[in-house]
Amino acid sequence: MKRFLSLMLLVFVVCSAMAVGIFGNAGRAVADNQTIINFPSIWVGKDSKAVVMNELITKFNQENAGKIKVVVEEIADYDAYEEKVKVSIAAGQVPDLFITKAGAKAEPFYKSGKLMDLSKYMDSAWQDRFVPGVMSSATYQGRILAVPYEFGVTPVLYNSKLLEKAGYTEFPETYQDFFVMCDKMEALGITPMSQMTGANAWTSMLWYSQLLAAIGGPDIYERGFDDPAYLEAAKLIKKMFDYTTSDAVGATATVAAGHFLNERTAMLMNGPWFIGRIKSEGGNNFYQNIKVAPAPAYQGGKGEKGGYLGFVQALLVAAKQSDHNKEEAVVKFLKYLTEAENVKKLSMSSGALFVIKTEINPGDNVEPLQGAMINQSSKAPYIVPHFNMSVKPAVATEFPQALSALVLGIKTPEEFIATLKAIDTR
Amino acid sequence: MKKTISSKIGMVLFLLPAGLFFISFFVYPLVFIIITSFTSWDGLSQPVFNSWNNYRFVLSDPTFKLSIQNNIGWILAGGFLQVPLAVLVAILLARKPKGWKFLRTVYYFPNVISIVAMSMLWMAVFNSEYGILNGLLKAVGLEGLQQNWLGNYFTAYPAVVLFGVFYIGYFMIIILAEISSIPETYYEAASIDGASRLQQELHITLPLIRGSTLTCMTIAMVYGLRQFEQTYVMTNGGPANRTMVLVLYLFKKINDFQYGVANTSAVFLLMIGVIIIVGLRRLFRAKD
Repeated sequence: MKRFLSLMLLVFVVCSAMAVGIFGNAGRAVADNQTIINFPSIWVGKDSKAVVMNELITKFNQENAGKIKVVVEEIADYDAYEEKVKVSIAAGQVPDLFITKAGAKAEPFYKSGKLMDLSKYMDSAWQDRFVPGVMSSATYQGRILAVPYEFGVTPVLYNSKLLEKAGYTEFPETYQDFFVMCDKMEALGITPMSQMTGANAWTSMLWYSQLLAAIGGPDIYERGFDDPAYLEAAKLIKKMFDYTTSDAVGATATVAAGHFLNERTAMLMNGPWFIGRIKSEGGNNFYQNIKVAPAPAYQGGKGEKGGYLGFVQALLVAAKQSDHNKEEAVVKFLKYLTEAENVKKLSMSSGALFVIKTEINPGDNVEPLQGAMINQSSKAPYIVPHFNMSVKPAVATEFPQALSALVLGIKTPEEFIATLKAIDTR
Repeated sequence: MKKTISSKIGMVLFLLPAGLFFISFFVYPLVFIIITSFTSWDGLSQPVFNSWNNYRFVLSDPTFKLSIQNNIGWILAGGFLQVPLAVLVAILLARKPKGWKFLRTVYYFPNVISIVAMSMLWMAVFNSEYGILNGLLKAVGLEGLQQNWLGNYFTAYPAVVLFGVFYIGYFMIIILAEISSIPETYYEAASIDGASRLQQELHITLPLIRGSTLTCMTIAMVYGLRQFEQTYVMTNGGPANRTMVLVLYLFKKINDFQYGVANTSAVFLLMIGVIIIVGLRRLFRAKD
C-alpha cells in the first residue's frame, strides 16, 4: 500500500509539473490584465524597416501601457515566416496580426473565413489615408479583410560605371538595343546581369514579368497562357541567361544580389527595399554609381515605354476576434501603423514605399534612388503586378523549376509554357 | 492478489502519460493525415472529400515519381555507401593509428554543426563562380571539368548525395563503440594462428559488429527517406526538379495550400517507411 501511495504521489507530481508547463503561459496572460496583440513580424533583424518599426511599436506600447501590448514574434526569414503563419492558421491559431503578400498569396487567407472584417472600421477618414485604388487588393467578396501597407516597384537597378564602359550613358529603351548593349558588355568581359532560378527565382521572375507586360501589354495576365506573349517572353528570358553568371541556374537571391553588389554584374531587377543593402553592402562609391530605369519596351509589343512593375507588397491582416476589446485594440494599432507621420518615418529610413499618402516637404531628405523610383513610376503609362502575384501559388512554385529546365535546354519554350499551363489548369 | 492489482494499476499509471502522448502526437496525426489525404483542403477552410483524386494526381505527377526515385537513391546511398564508409573508417580508427583521436573528432565534427550551416558551406564549395571545387580543378589543370555543380542537371543530384554520404560521424561512433567491446584476446588468438590484419577484420570484426552495422543501416535508410534540409537549402529540389525528394515535394504542396495532396504524399512516405523497416527486419531475422 505504501508503495502504491508513493507511486500515486509520483504520478501527481509529474502531472502537476506538466500542467504548469502547459498552462503556465495562459495564467500569466490573464494575470497581466491587458490586451496582448501577438504580431509575428518579418520587419525585424536586418530588414531595412526593422529599427523604425521597433521604435513605433515601443512607442505604441508606452502610450497604451497597462491596456494594450503588442508582442512581436521575430521571424527574419520570409519563407519561414510564411510557413509559420500558414501552419499556425491550419492549426487553428491565427496570429492576432500578421503580414502577407497580396494577390494570389492572400486569397486563401481571405477564403478561410478566419480574418477580421475591417469594413465597419474602414470609414472615409481611414480610407482617405490610402492612395486611390489600393483597397481592392484587400477586399474579398465586398468585405475589407486586410490593410494594404507596403508598395513595391521593381525597376532595373544598373551600375552606370559598368554601362559607361560599354559606351552607354542612358539605359536602353528597347529590348533590341538592350541585347546589343549586353553583347558589347560581354565583349569587354563585363557580365551584364544577375539572374537566378533558386528559391522563387525572384529576379528572373521579375524580368519575365517585365517581358510579359512589354510584349503582351498590361492586361497580359487576363488572357492566360495561350497568349503568344508568354512564349515570346520565355524565349527572351532564356536568352537573358546567356548574359549572366555561370552559377545563375540554382542561384538564390543572395547569390544574385551578391554578384551585383560586388560589381560582378551590371544589372539587377529589384525593389526599393534593396536600397539599404546597396548603401551598406556595396563597395567604394558603389551607391553613387547605381541608377534606376524602367525595363525596356519591346518593339512590336503591346507594352509601352516606361511601363513599371508595381504591386502591394505587404498587407496587414488581423485574425477574427471573439473578444470585442481585443478587436478594437488591433484596429487601434492598425490605425496607428497607417498614420502618415509614422509611415513617412518608415519610408524615409528604409527607402521602402507605402500605399499611405505622405507629404514630402522640401527639407525632407528623400533617398535619391527612392525618389527616382517614385518619379518614374508616377510617369509610367501603366503599373502591372509581377507574375508570381498574378498566377496560382502552385504555378509560382513550379516557375523556378520550369525556368531552370528551360535554361538548361531540358524543356523547349513551348514545353515551358505547357508545364505552367498544365499546373494552372489542374 | 492485492499486490498484483496495485502493481497493475501502477503499470497503467506509469504508461498512461506516455500512452496519451503517443495517441496525441502520433496516432491522432496519423489518422488525420490518412483521412485528409482523401480531401481537397487548403489548410485554412474546411476539407472537402474528393475520393481518390489526390492519389490519382500524385501518381500521374512526374515530379512525384522523380521524388520517389531520388529518395530510393538516398536510401541506397545511406545504407550501402554511407554506412560501409563509416564501418571502414571505424575499423581503421579502432586500430588506434597515430592521431586517431583527432581524426575521430574531425569525422564527428559535422554532426554537431547545424545541417543548414553545413549545407550552405557546401553550396559555396560547389559554386561555379567562386567555389573551392572548381578552384581545385583549375589548380590541377582540369578546367574542362569545371561545372555549376548544383545547377547542372547531371551533377546536382550526385553532388547533394555526395555531401550526405560523407556525413558518417554518427555511425562511425556507434560502430567504433561496438568494436571497442570486442575482446582483444580474439585478435591475439587469430594472430597466433597466422591470420593477417585483413583476415582478422573480415572474420572477427565484421561478424561481431553486424548488429550495430544493421542498426546503422536502418537509421541511415530512414534518414534517406526523410531527406529534406540538405536538398531544401542546397538546391530547393532543382534544377528542373532533378533533386526533388518526397518531404520537399510535400513541403511545397503545403506551401501551395494543397494540404490534401501534401497528406497524400505523406501517406506514400509512410508506406515506403514501413516497407523499409519491415524489409530490413525480415532480412536481419533471415540472417540470424
